[in-house]
Amino acid sequence: MKISYSHLVNQIKENPSIDMISESLFQLGHEHEVDGDILNMELTPNRGDCLSINGLLRDLSAFYTVNLKKKIYSEKINKLELDFENLSQNTCPKISFLKIEIDNISSEYKQYLDDYFIKLNLNKNNFFTDISNYLSYETGQPTHCYDANKINGKLVLQEMEINQEFHTLLDKKITLTGKNSFFSINDEVVNLAGVVGGKSTACTSETKTVLVECAFFEPEAIMGKSLKYNIQSEASHKFERFVDPEKHDYVIRRFINIVSEHANIKDMSFVSYDYKKKQAIKIPLNLNRINQILGIDITEDQYVDYLSKLGFIIKEKHIYVPSYRNDISSQNDLSEEVARVIGYNNISKYKLPLIRGEASIKDSIENKLRFFLIDHGFYEVINFPFSNEKSIDSIKIDNPLDSNKEHMRTNLINSLLENLAFNERRQKDSIKLFEISDVYTFKNDKIRKKRNLAIVASGRVGHNHIDFSKKINKKYLINLFKDALPTEDFAIKIFNREDLNSKIKNEIVGCELDIENFSTEVLNYKEEARPPRVFKRFSQISDLPCSTRDLSFSIKDFSSRKNLEKYILEYENELIKEKFIFDYFFNEKSAEIKIGFRFIFQSLNSTITEKQVNNVMNDIIRHTEKIKGVTIPGLN
Amino acid sequence: MSSNKDILPPEITKDTGAVHPINHMKDSIMSLLVSFGFEIIDGPEIETEEFNFDMLNIKKTHPARQMHDTFYVENKSNLLRTHTSPVQIRGMLEKSPPLAFISGGKVYRKDDDATHLPMFHQIEGILVDENVSFAQLKDLIYKIVHSLFDEGIQLRFRPSYFPFTEPSAEVDILSSEGKWIEVLGCGLVNPTVLENCNIDSNKFSGLAFGLGIERIAMLKHNMNDIREFYKSNLDFLGQFK
Repeated sequence: MKISYSHLVNQIKENPSIDMISESLFQLGHEHEVDGDILNMELTPNRGDCLSINGLLRDLSAFYTVNLKKKIYSEKINKLELDFENLSQNTCPKISFLKIEIDNISSEYKQYLDDYFIKLNLNKNNFFTDISNYLSYETGQPTHCYDANKINGKLVLQEMEINQEFHTLLDKKITLTGKNSFFSINDEVVNLAGVVGGKSTACTSETKTVLVECAFFEPEAIMGKSLKYNIQSEASHKFERFVDPEKHDYVIRRFINIVSEHANIKDMSFVSYDYKKKQAIKIPLNLNRINQILGIDITEDQYVDYLSKLGFIIKEKHIYVPSYRNDISSQNDLSEEVARVIGYNNISKYKLPLIRGEASIKDSIENKLRFFLIDHGFYEVINFPFSNEKSIDSIKIDNPLDSNKEHMRTNLINSLLENLAFNERRQKDSIKLFEISDVYTFKNDKIRKKRNLAIVASGRVGHNHIDFSKKINKKYLINLFKDALPTEDFAIKIFNREDLNSKIKNEIVGCELDIENFSTEVLNYKEEARPPRVFKRFSQISDLPCSTRDLSFSIKDFSSRKNLEKYILEYENELIKEKFIFDYFFNEKSAEIKIGFRFIFQSLNSTITEKQVNNVMNDIIRHTEKIKGVTIPGLN
Repeated sequence: MSSNKDILPPEITKDTGAVHPINHMKDSIMSLLVSFGFEIIDGPEIETEEFNFDMLNIKKTHPARQMHDTFYVENKSNLLRTHTSPVQIRGMLEKSPPLAFISGGKVYRKDDDATHLPMFHQIEGILVDENVSFAQLKDLIYKIVHSLFDEGIQLRFRPSYFPFTEPSAEVDILSSEGKWIEVLGCGLVNPTVLENCNIDSNKFSGLAFGLGIERIAMLKHNMNDIREFYKSNLDFLGQFK
């Protein structure tokens, strides 16, 4: 909600700067961004009472001398005889109507009214609707204006199941379905209650007789309607968050006053229906409780002062909650009011005695398995549980984000296979992944939960010179587990590549196991690797293709080997993503070392070219050729 | 001069993998809180409306209960929990105060953009005892935030709204660029929630806090796109060894 700073400050005696107002609003819990003269308010959903100039001023009264008085029409108003029936008194327990007829329509607005449209960059509609919109901004009470001459029958408010097309005054046709609260005339919907009026009874620039509806709707009757029908409605935003039911008389009289400042009123009449008068909430004054909740020590005078400034009435040891504050009903609620006025940051911290600093997380089978796999080069992944696979016991999501994924997965392995294929497409040649997660199924009307571990692996065993030429297969995985963990049946499988849309031929092996089935012997595993203590800075990842080059050397002067390795492994170039020794052989007979280095190139900005790669490789070759006793076989 | 060492094969440094950065962050925070005396409890990711909303004082009219915010399953018989708070409800129903629980894990909301995902991770804590105050909550939050970030980091508390706490606060830290960044939500447990769990709110009061693990991990690792966590990209995962 946009609020103009000048509209606030005009009513504050101390004339605070926008920065001071902004700071005060933050202290009160009203988040916002400042954009020039405009405060873009992001109010919490419990503070519907602050969705107006007057609402924010009421809160700012905690810190400033605020003048909330505006000119209202104060004379007696004739009773309106209106053909109206409320069949939905539960959802609309209070509603008022004002009928006004004017002589002529003003072509110019008073400065305050013009200023509202200019400051907030809003378009004008027509005289009565403009006043209605302004009043909603000023008081927080939405009103709806019907062209009275277009009402040609009994106006009925009801909440019921309906299936009818409705042409809104925004010139949008919507089909009302399901349960809705609406006003109708002769069975035709003329107003979707609390959300948007209809075209058929809307005011225009020609309207001279208006019927103003000022209602209180229970928030649940309005909730979700603007979203359902995709209608931007400030009125529904307010009604959903509660509108003061006790302000109808004031708002109607203010409406009359604004009209009278712009036009000659020929006739007017008013009626108000109050079906279930709400009792003011009163809470016992209990200062000790407030001091205990907050851990502070304020006096009763201070307490009364804070609450009085916010509009609470204190009498006979009770606190009477103003009608616009439907969020206050308990001592804790009152303590928050006090804390807001004092300022959360001004409440001193007080030592919490429970903190002991002794306990630590116990080893679990799950963590032992995790660290065993990490020790052996596996990376942990976390996948979303949404799946396109429907099985006999999969749980169906009623309202999925993606209609192609409307089931909860019943296994982890399929997600891991997708992860594997993703990394293969990114030219990874050694992939070892695992995931530990809950898996849910639905059987016999019962939801069942299992905690599973799934593993997949494919490609090279590793990148060092021993493992580079070894391929991951079923035997590798069986041996890996057999040597380190107690005798479990891992049921290692070889997975079919057909569904992976991959041209790579490497065997994919893996398994999925219920963690509960592991014996506690797993707890005896002594892990080598532990996650780093320092949280590393993330480096940008490239989605562009990689390019690979290998360079093999023959070393006859063994003392040069260290120089060669040092030069290459410490060689820095922004295009080199990875480099490692993938091959090593010492030929005793010929007294020669053969050593192979692999370079993987990738750019963050553009697809890497042959020329870029060759430039780097030539630089490396130029330098290594100079190392005594080192040659590159095949290079002239 | 060459020596025998020069012909030895290159040293093999073990090619280890890595814990997922979110689980690493979760474990770090949980360890910290356990060291403060909190006990870890677990609960299901598929919950009932009663535990996820009603028991937590989230009224039928609250926007979070709408179909566009919450994933419902099997004809609305259950839902994917939108926070880890229902675990605390289960804990409070099982044990009597004084108590101090933490629960961490996956939660689900119907969101998907650069800063929101349909699945993310939370850690929430609750402590119920006699005379627990907002001033003590602040003490705990200072300890948590200073342990997580830096002893010298500046904090600010802002009033906020959570149906299950009253008063409620959001806590920001001041970044090195001078910007306030929200890191967690907290408050005193709403007495209605205590009563829902058969705890006498006249005798006991509680404090609660919750933080998004992705948010903290993004700050610690200096990341700006939450989606990176869930691409299972080895170039990403390999950075967290």
